[in-house]
Amino acid sequence: MEKRTDSPYPKVDRPILAVVGVLLVISCALFVWSDRKHDWRYYQATFRAQVAEKLGAEKAKLLRPGLQQVWVADLKRADRCMTCHQAALWKGFETAEEPLRTHPAGPLRNHPVEKYGCTSCHGGQGYAVDATEAHGPVEHWEEPLLGKTLGEAYGLVDDKNAAMQMNCNVCHRYDRETKGAEAINLAKKLVTERGCRACHVVNGRGGSIGPDLTNVGEKAAEQYEYGRLSGQKTSFAWHVAHFKDPRALVPETVMPNFHFTTKEAQALSMLVLSWRRAPVPADYRPGTPRTDPQTAAEVETELKMKTGPGAWFVKTGCFVCHSIQALGVKSPAQIGPDLSTAVEDVQSRFGRTLDDFLREPTGTMSVVLSRQIILTPEEKAVAVGKLREAFAEYQKQKAEDAKGKKPAASIGAH
Amino acid sequence: MSVKPDKAGSQPHGAPGVHTKPLWSVRPASDREAGDAVVSNFLLHWFPAKTYKPSLDWNYSFWLGTASAALLLLVTVSGLPLLFLYVPSVERAYGSVKDIEYVTTFGFWIRAVHRLSAHLMVAVVFLHMVRVFLTGAYKNGRGQGQKREQNWVLGVGLLLLTLLLSFTGYLLPWDQLAYWAITVGTNIASSIPFVGSAIRELLLGGRAIDQATLIRFYVLHVIALPAAIGVIFLYHMWRVRKDGGLARADRATLLPEKAAEAPSKTKTYTLLGVARGTSPAVKASTLERADTTVNSVPDLTRRILIVVLAIFALVSIASVFYHAPLEEPANALVTPNPAKAPWYFLWLQEIVTDTTVKIGSFTINGAFLGGVLLPGALVFLLTLWPWLDKSAPGSAGVWFPKDRRTQNAVFLAFVAGVLVLTFIGTFCRGPYWHLYWPWQAWPELPTRI
Repeated sequence: MEKRTDSPYPKVDRPILAVVGVLLVISCALFVWSDRKHDWRYYQATFRAQVAEKLGAEKAKLLRPGLQQVWVADLKRADRCMTCHQAALWKGFETAEEPLRTHPAGPLRNHPVEKYGCTSCHGGQGYAVDATEAHGPVEHWEEPLLGKTLGEAYGLVDDKNAAMQMNCNVCHRYDRETKGAEAINLAKKLVTERGCRACHVVNGRGGSIGPDLTNVGEKAAEQYEYGRLSGQKTSFAWHVAHFKDPRALVPETVMPNFHFTTKEAQALSMLVLSWRRAPVPADYRPGTPRTDPQTAAEVETELKMKTGPGAWFVKTGCFVCHSIQALGVKSPAQIGPDLSTAVEDVQSRFGRTLDDFLREPTGTMSVVLSRQIILTPEEKAVAVGKLREAFAEYQKQKAEDAKGKKPAASIGAH
Repeated sequence: MSVKPDKAGSQPHGAPGVHTKPLWSVRPASDREAGDAVVSNFLLHWFPAKTYKPSLDWNYSFWLGTASAALLLLVTVSGLPLLFLYVPSVERAYGSVKDIEYVTTFGFWIRAVHRLSAHLMVAVVFLHMVRVFLTGAYKNGRGQGQKREQNWVLGVGLLLLTLLLSFTGYLLPWDQLAYWAITVGTNIASSIPFVGSAIRELLLGGRAIDQATLIRFYVLHVIALPAAIGVIFLYHMWRVRKDGGLARADRATLLPEKAAEAPSKTKTYTLLGVARGTSPAVKASTLERADTTVNSVPDLTRRILIVVLAIFALVSIASVFYHAPLEEPANALVTPNPAKAPWYFLWLQEIVTDTTVKIGSFTINGAFLGGVLLPGALVFLLTLWPWLDKSAPGSAGVWFPKDRRTQNAVFLAFVAGVLVLTFIGTFCRGPYWHLYWPWQAWPELPTRI
């Protein structure tokens, strides 16, 4: 075995390796600390203590520790607000300090958390779990919490919490009035009174002199011209200034100055910013047309049927399957036989009287009358009476037809 | 044919070349044991049994190659959990990255480690190349069968792969930063005459940056490019051994042989069962002399451990405080102002803007010159340089040798140019690509509310 001279390296390198080892330990400690430092751990511990004190230890055990999340698949929102806002759905903390205060019950009745999440109304960054990132404003998140802080920064007149109404109107844009959204309601009234639609398309109708405003809320902040705007450079501030004096921002504009007050200008700015192409399913937006509209002729016929002598059969829903030509009722589907001759027809088909058949129907009618159109004995009597009238009318028309005096179609319009 | 033990209780013989003893000693007691250690030791397959002392100096190589490899390891290891967490879809990608940031335990740290080590790797690989150029380490010295120029070409390939890996990873979070960096990058590619738009379409999988682009970049980023870099990296390492270690080790052959050690040493190898039983005697060179070398295990491996672990520790600590950027979700309708390529391509973007000339309403676009022709020519020259460098073999493995003074100066001028342009692009370019001093505030950018 070859004898080797002593290596100088262990003496120099071992201390360096030791330093590196210490650095590794420090790094482990640091990233464990970075996970433990979140404020939500403190809030959860505080709330647990409060629940235990107020409602007993048993109740406190119901609290799930760790990150809390509402996932609304329809809206593609994962809101982790309740990680800190623990008390939101608990009763008894109405007067506590945020973030441990009960959410007011009113809005939640129609907007359950599991269907709407938190941020679809309040704004903010649902992904985040620390106050600054979640509430904003932070860089690279364009939807800060629409709360009092923002309202104060904007100097909103009257209600400092009004900014949130922008998000109400993302869904409620087709409502004329929305309960609780006073600023938006004011703005909508102004849109009608001042005749914005003379020049602008709003919600799909209006003039073509000005730009289409249907989705103007989508316009990026960078796309406005801020050259003549002093103060905050935001889309909102631009709109407020523009509503107050359009020509001051855009000298070549033909938009007249409506001399809106600050409150009106702010309300209108909130309204136009709420007109967004938000990716919400149609059933989140009341008033969204979901059927193909009826033609004028169809509307007229339906109105006639509803007010004519056959109105009772329209109201009860018999006309869905049966026409009663003698009374001017025309079924859109005509699945069953025309009831004008029911008095005679039932007798010949079932060998029973009409009264008897209605009392104890057989076949399809037994299903219909037991599940869909449920009539009291009195109503059944009314039906029989009306059908007798119809039969009399039918016979009269037939006799008149035979004489060639009147065409059958106009019967029922007397 | 069945193998029978010669007598009861004796050790069974392994097949030729198969080592039966799994354990090896750091302090072998005999030549036989030392040879066995070499055979059964992975590290000694990677590194030679003995290392020339000056090759271990901190201030010769600055251990930049080892650092690059450490960063490659770190970026791979931190990429594995991200593979499980990230969803490569235009609808989900952004949200999944937000989830990694906010709700995955240590997720933000894993992502920061991945991002930071990827950026560092670009920088360190570049510096490694600069070191190899300045010391002429791509030159063949006095050893036989050296093909260092081949290894230099492999190295250039590894640099390009590092850039591509970083660039493809840039798109994956699907935020504004990603979307517009890829827009800038692929628009430069489309400036190539005749085939440009076809190349852009090939890169994007269509004419717009969309799901097709995302999945292309994803597969390149997690499968194709890592596989390529892995294979070339191994080849790069193997060539270092074949070429006799660092170029500096060639200097050992210049040393006079020690007269005192006559008669010349012989050494017995039992490597891999070659010529089993006949023990070929090999004349020891200066490289094997006891006073100029040390055992690779543990002196070389200890230093490698120091470099690797130090990089792990520093990146890990920095990642607790560094937050990997994640901007707004990608939006094709809103261009961030300014829209910048990744920092390591900013020198090119800078050249593109500087060579875009406006004469009246007529614009000469610099994208082809600055984005394609110039970097293409640089890579071409870089690849061929070992054959163009006519300096003496003796100037391999030396910092700033006399006969390489001119080429080193020109090379350094290019490096300085790239660094200055990168600096300007990164720190001095503001909205509308106007120049600002780094300490000068940019004009306030508007926000929605």
